[in-house]
Amino acid sequence: MSFEIFLMDGYGVYVWSSFGFTFLVCLFLYIRTKKTLKKLEKDFIKEAQNLPEEQFEDIRQQKIAKEILISHSRS
Amino acid sequence: MIKFLNPSYVFKLSGKLLSLFKAVLLPIVVVGLIFSLFLSPKDYIQGDTVRIMYIHVPSAWISLLSFAAISFFCILNFLFKLKNVTLIYKSLAPIGLTFNIIAIVTGSIWGQPTWGTWWAWDARLTSMLILMFFYIAFIFSYKFINNSDRSIKACTLISVLGLINLVIIKYSVEWWSTLHQPSSISLTRETTVHFSMLIPLGLMLLALIMYVAVIFLMKYRIETIRIKRKGIRKL
Repeated sequence: MSFEIFLMDGYGVYVWSSFGFTFLVCLFLYIRTKKTLKKLEKDFIKEAQNLPEEQFEDIRQQKIAKEILISHSRS
Repeated sequence: MIKFLNPSYVFKLSGKLLSLFKAVLLPIVVVGLIFSLFLSPKDYIQGDTVRIMYIHVPSAWISLLSFAAISFFCILNFLFKLKNVTLIYKSLAPIGLTFNIIAIVTGSIWGQPTWGTWWAWDARLTSMLILMFFYIAFIFSYKFINNSDRSIKACTLISVLGLINLVIIKYSVEWWSTLHQPSSISLTRETTVHFSMLIPLGLMLLALIMYVAVIFLMKYRIETIRIKRKGIRKL
């Protein structure tokens, strides 16, 4: 396979560095956001489970809390 | 329509949309990259450097549109005090800032082979840099101002001032003599970009919009869970 396609007449360094930078920034933002989401879901469930049973049951009936529990159990 | 104001309905919907967007994101990115890096033609003057356009232009559009949306939601929140709207602009701001930085950096890399310089204090470049500072100020005002009313006021003020900057960015290439070329794609005038280049540009725009949607939905869920956690702590 010809390297010409990657060298791009000497402009490859500019093109690949632009795409590489964008890819890395997007990947970093994705991983960081996903990590934060998972951590918050986990903390939310932990805090809810630490509540007295009656209050925990009340929270479990709430739609958003139910959705968090489902989403976390899926992952 | 009213159900879109219901946080639990929106939260459930965000979960479903997140799975859908995640599933289509990777195929669109791969097709977009193949078109923009290998299948699209070289420019007759700029050669292969034109390929930088396929990420630079959509990134700049996303950063501008995000700020316009943030301003709209801030004004809406200032007038009607809607809790959901706060979550929307808090989720959008880091995404807009990220794409603003991508647009500046890729533009700078594109500038070196095209203009012979990484940076020039030209009206378009400078106004894009100013937009970055507006984004930073905006994020700081909702992160570090604890008083909710003051935070909303500060966010609204920054977003309205930023709107003026958006107009300057849009018309900077027409009002001043700039290194940056005038826009080749316009809703009101004929587009001067060839069809063979519009395809990868459209694909990359779609790919980045899908990515933005994924990040936005995750951030929206993060902000919602934060509010819910505060509720638990009060019990």
